[in-house]
Amino acid sequence: MNNKSIKEFKLKLNIMRKIVVSMLAIIMLALINPVLAQKKENKVVCFKSDMDCANCEKTVGEYLKFEKGVKDLKVDHASNTIRVEYKDGKNTDEKLAKAIEKKGYKAEKITPEQYKVIVEKTKAEGHHHEVEVHRERKD
Amino acid sequence: MRKLIILFIIVFPFVSHAQNLRGIVYGNEQDGKQPLPGVNIFWQGTNSGTASDGDGNFEIRKQEHQHMLVFSFVGYETKTLHVDNLNKLEVILQPNLEIEEVSVVRKNRGTYLSAMETIQTERIGGAELHKAACCNLAESFETNPSVDLSYSDAITGAKQIKLLGLDGTYSLLQVENMPNLRGLATTFGLTYIPGPWMESIQVSKGAASVLNGYDAIAGQINAELKKPDSNEKLFLNVFGNADSRLEFNGNTNIRLKGDTLTTGILVHGHDLSAKNDHNNDGFLDEPLSQMFQVGNRWKFNNHQGYMAQAGINLLWEDRLGGQVDASRNMTPSVDNPYGVSIKNNRFDAFFKTGYVFPNGRTAVAWLSNFSQHETDSYYGLTDYVADETRFYGSAVLTRDLDISGWHTLNSGFSFIFDDFDEMLYGSDIRRIEKVPGIFTEYTYKPNANFTLMAGLRADFHNIFGNFVTPRMHFRYHFANHFTLRGSAGKGYRTANVISENIYMLANSRPLSWKRDVMQEEAWNYGIAFVQNYMLLGRDLTLNAEYFRTDFQSQLIVDRETSSEYILLSPLDGKSYATSLQFDLRWQPVERLDMLLAYRINDIKQTIGGELKEKPLTNKYKGLINLNYTTNLKKWMFDYTVQFNGGGRIPRYPGDMPLGQSDNNFTSFEPYTIMNAQITKYFRYWSIYVGVENLANFKQENPIEGADNPFGPQFSATNVWGPVMGRKIYLGLRFNLNYE
Repeated sequence: MNNKSIKEFKLKLNIMRKIVVSMLAIIMLALINPVLAQKKENKVVCFKSDMDCANCEKTVGEYLKFEKGVKDLKVDHASNTIRVEYKDGKNTDEKLAKAIEKKGYKAEKITPEQYKVIVEKTKAEGHHHEVEVHRERKD
Repeated sequence: MRKLIILFIIVFPFVSHAQNLRGIVYGNEQDGKQPLPGVNIFWQGTNSGTASDGDGNFEIRKQEHQHMLVFSFVGYETKTLHVDNLNKLEVILQPNLEIEEVSVVRKNRGTYLSAMETIQTERIGGAELHKAACCNLAESFETNPSVDLSYSDAITGAKQIKLLGLDGTYSLLQVENMPNLRGLATTFGLTYIPGPWMESIQVSKGAASVLNGYDAIAGQINAELKKPDSNEKLFLNVFGNADSRLEFNGNTNIRLKGDTLTTGILVHGHDLSAKNDHNNDGFLDEPLSQMFQVGNRWKFNNHQGYMAQAGINLLWEDRLGGQVDASRNMTPSVDNPYGVSIKNNRFDAFFKTGYVFPNGRTAVAWLSNFSQHETDSYYGLTDYVADETRFYGSAVLTRDLDISGWHTLNSGFSFIFDDFDEMLYGSDIRRIEKVPGIFTEYTYKPNANFTLMAGLRADFHNIFGNFVTPRMHFRYHFANHFTLRGSAGKGYRTANVISENIYMLANSRPLSWKRDVMQEEAWNYGIAFVQNYMLLGRDLTLNAEYFRTDFQSQLIVDRETSSEYILLSPLDGKSYATSLQFDLRWQPVERLDMLLAYRINDIKQTIGGELKEKPLTNKYKGLINLNYTTNLKKWMFDYTVQFNGGGRIPRYPGDMPLGQSDNNFTSFEPYTIMNAQITKYFRYWSIYVGVENLANFKQENPIEGADNPFGPQFSATNVWGPVMGRKIYLGLRFNLNYE
């Protein structure tokens, strides 16, 4: 090997090293993130709502996820429920309810137990809304 | 009342044979199947029907002769079932997510989408488009394993793509399913579609459906632009990079009559006024440029089967490359700096319309576009001026041949008109292409797992005479995990010999051609095998594909035989391209998407009587793409590494550029490029920052003979790697949606 090819080899090695380091960094980041998220106790609040279509679900979800302190979110139009997990002190149940109402939907606070029951029930029985709801989408 | 009596009389004779069929209809929702109330259920071709109740239950009278039961519901795909007995039915309808596209989707299901499913296709969606810095269509492929992106030369900033290792001209480029950006737009067209205007891109490999024309040899790339009836109310984007490139994109949708009549306005502008010469060769690394584009499109959809769309687009573009001191108002002369100036003006218009008959089994569609393109340019001392007027029209009739929908026929006719006028080396070259054509394509789909498509078209070309294009595709899904696809077909293409190679003028040797237009002809065969598994609870997709293209006639760019000229001559001998690609997609960690891909290219042409590796083509390409989003997708991290194999540099007898070391005189070494980007999403806006070419790899000496650009050693066309090094960029997006 002459000097030039050694230099080239080193350069390649350097690039490979950079790639490996960057990949590891990303994987680490991905692994660490959920760990960090669970470190501090989060507050959970659940609501019963009146969203009826998948689009409403999307609207509410996209809006709520950017409310202060929101860490996790489950919005479901079939059971008409919303579950928000947020950092204590950054937000309040009332403010979150207001945010849902601002988008034009009901936000009736329920306990996590009630939430669980409703979600389970919906899963077992299926989608329970009026015929009219889907009809609306025709216009 | 009278109708009822008539109905009663008609139905009465059969009543004795009628029995009740019961069942339940579900919608396939995100969280599993849900009973679907209010679904229209009727026997095909009759008025006898019912609707499902609140729990999705239904009951319908079945006559002995009635077999085809139709389930139809707005927002879901219509389903037709063959019913033989009275067993209780359980029917699941798939949501039709793009409700606004109902009529198009249904029409497309026959003419286009089903074809896409049968043909090996990659879809690049909105989320993927956010991954790359993505200023335009060309750059959208940076994270794609199948499409290679490179510069044509080191001066004009023109970008080329390659699919299956073959030049982009062998792929049919479409905008909204209509051929576009060809002829004079070939060189710069890929930079004419701003990234933020696009909704999605589909890349399909191998021979395409005959419905789209005779010229998709290596594949087909279709860009779908944002639709005026989408949810987006206002979108704004600004972008800037460390080399002072500034860019603005915006679009707005206006609902004039609900979602029946809508219009969208799209704007794009960019400016690069700073002179960058990072490698100090006295030449700009990329040309100074300005571009402005404005588009307006309309959509009418009566939601009862009729749909029409129309739009116009205007584009002005100005580029100035070459030596750093070149200026826009200088006269090209050996006493002045070497300059390349290119001005493009373009006008585009399109109209498409479709109607789906109420029975849902017949649809008609009309697609047409028109473009007018003017180019005024000079490369050093050589002027090139051209204009082109082009029209494309196509009518398609889609019919299900039987009630079950097993057999579908798409037939129609098309017309291409192309008036091309160009002036180079003082000679005026003019030609008019007129190509009426007819086509038909038969699809056999006995079940969801198998599709066979056979298509044939005949075109009547005023210059090249009549020719026939046969094509065939199949798709077979089996054993739950495997999908096998195959395709074979002929393709033809009109090569605009000069305009397609016009960047070759950035070279001391003049162009020499025998014919200013010729027809290229090739067969393409392909096979693809896709496997889907679950690995650690997450989807794993493995893909292996092999494509082969054999040219019977081709335009060869010969830079090697003559020291006097660059020869643009017809193929005399063999020319082929093979491409073997493997890719793997998986999530090793939740929300971390990983793509690993590797492709080997073997592309050979007969150049100067000898079968040689096609110059400036990478022998292989590897790609790693990692994309991670945090929970709720507030942050997105993206990282791409491309491993590009080495290749051959074309040299002519006596060629010895100065400053080029011997061992990389006739070939170039493999190189690696890395890109990274971070995006932070907020409620109405997002910010992204990224780096292109992180490892700062640059081709040494991209302009040969740079110190004497009017001398015999000058060449800016032996470009195989990046001309520009590491580049940091920052962008903002703002969007507001309708609710």
